[in-house]
Parts: sequence; C-alpha cells; structure tokens
Amino acid sequence: MDEQHDKTTHFGFQTVAEDQKAGMVHGVFTRVASRYDVMNDLMSMGIHRAWKDAMMDWLAPRPGQRLLDVAGGTGDVAFRFLNRAQGAGAVVCDMTESMLVEGRKRAEAEKMADSLDWVVGDAMALPFPDNSFDVYTISFGIRNVTRIADAMKEAYRVLKPGGRLMVLEFSQIPNDLMQKAYDLYSFNVIPVMGQIVANDRDSYQYLVESIRKFPDQETFAGMIRAAGFEQVKYRNLTMGIAALHSGWKI
Amino acid sequence: MTDTPASAPATGTAEAGERRPAFDRHMLEALVCPLTLGPLSYDAEAQELISKSAHLAFPIRDGIPVMLASEARRTDD
Repeated sequence: MDEQHDKTTHFGFQTVAEDQKAGMVHGVFTRVASRYDVMNDLMSMGIHRAWKDAMMDWLAPRPGQRLLDVAGGTGDVAFRFLNRAQGAGAVVCDMTESMLVEGRKRAEAEKMADSLDWVVGDAMALPFPDNSFDVYTISFGIRNVTRIADAMKEAYRVLKPGGRLMVLEFSQIPNDLMQKAYDLYSFNVIPVMGQIVANDRDSYQYLVESIRKFPDQETFAGMIRAAGFEQVKYRNLTMGIAALHSGWKI
Repeated sequence: MTDTPASAPATGTAEAGERRPAFDRHMLEALVCPLTLGPLSYDAEAQELISKSAHLAFPIRDGIPVMLASEARRTDD
C-alpha cells in the first residue's frame, strides 16, 4: 500500500530506482562477460546445457525461420537454433556489448557468420520493425529486465502473426523443502564460486538474489498472457529450478 | 532519405590480414529506430546509423550496431 512517487524495482534484494537498474545490470554483465560461460557451467553443474536443449526440443526450429534471441549474450541459444534448422537466420540482441563481443569470438559464431547478426539493444525498446520474426527467445535474461511487462509487449510486437515466444528462466521449486535446500546452495555456494572463478562475489550475489525475486511459474505465465500471447504454457525443468514458458502470437 | 554511396566499403576482410568485423549492410533493412520505429540511414564514414525522426545517431562499433538511446549522439539538424 505504500506506493511511492518514484518508481522502484528490484536489483537482487535491493530496491532501486527504475532508471538505475539497467546501468547496474549492465555493470554486472560487463564484469562477468569473459567468464560467463565457465561460470554458467559451474553454477548449474552443466545443467544449463540440458535446459537449453530442452528449450530447443519444445521449440522445434523449422527450416528458414527467423529467430530473435534477446539477452542472447554469448550466442548459446542462437547456435543451437541454427544447428537444428536449415537455412534459418538469427539475430542476437543484448544490452551488454561485451557479451556480444565474447559470443562473436566463439568458433560456432565464425561457422555460422552468414546467418547470424549481433545487435546491442534494449528488450524494452527493440530496434526491429513490427511482425518481423518467427521466433522470439530469451534465456536467463528476462529477470534482469527492468519492466518485464514492457519486454513482453515488445516481444509481441516484433513477432509475426503465428510467431512463437519461448522464455527460459530460473523459477521457483514448488516443494518448500527442496526450495530451502536450493536456497542454501545458491546463497552459500554461488557467490563463493563467483569470488574464486571470476574474482567477483558481488555480481554473483546479485545473480542468486535476482533468481529468488523472479515471479513463480503461474505469475509469470499471467504476465505473458497480459502482453497478448495465447496458448501460454510452461514446463518445469529440474524440479522447477528453471522453467520454460511458451506463448503464441495468434 | 537513405544515403547509399555507390561504392560500399568492403565487408568481412580487411587490410593487413587482420579480420576486422564490418557492419553488414543487409542489417540496415532489419533495423529501425528503437524510439520512433522509423527508418535508419547508414553513414559508412562515421560508422553510424542515423534516425532522422529521433534526431539520434547510433554508433556501430566493430561492426555491431549499438541501438541504445543512452549511447546515441544527438543530431541537431
């Protein structure tokens, strides 16, 4: 009930002004960019790869489709998509330039250069025309966006009629006991790993806090519907540590 | 509206054997101004994408267009 005049949002567990969040998130990802792939492997014990494969299984990329991968960072999702769909094209769009620069250095990026484009852009103000993509993906990125509803509206705008939205994000474990065990792991282990591997405890502390703050499966599904998407469904991955949300622009 | 120099700069390969990523011109058709959704024009020399409708010039760095208002230069014309 204590609505304030200045709009605020979460930055992990901190409450910050809306206009500050993007810069703070940008700072985190600029710092972690060069170690991001290694840290993802360590943090999830390699499971994030299986989650991204599960995302592709549900998405079932088709030949010639055009993908927009937002917050696509180092290209993980776009590479997988292009590997599964002949003659497809992908645009990787991320707010953090250094993440894209890292992604473009990867061997897969060289091989797929002709069907890949890299653009620095904001999920809440995409630099693409209406109705221009068959598929929109965002993988472990939506929780970092300042206004999730705005990002979902933009996703809807740039998708063609008949286009598909797929979101991969950390979620909430429906079982309380398991959630407690997972919290214990993530709050105690991950920041320490961040300290050791990337010499940056604070950024990884933000990552675990932002995961905990992200809305649960049903709430997020509601936000996707509110943007206009239909047939919104989700699937839990690894007991709900992560979840895939799918929606269609009809 | 869109300036299209007759001789487009070489893309992909560059002098001295070092690969310097260049802006891919076909991207111009795929991009709009993130503020106005209006068209952009490409300034090859300045390596900028100009949005007339927003009076902004978005930088292209190492071939990657940076389509953030916070990174754009104001053009007062």
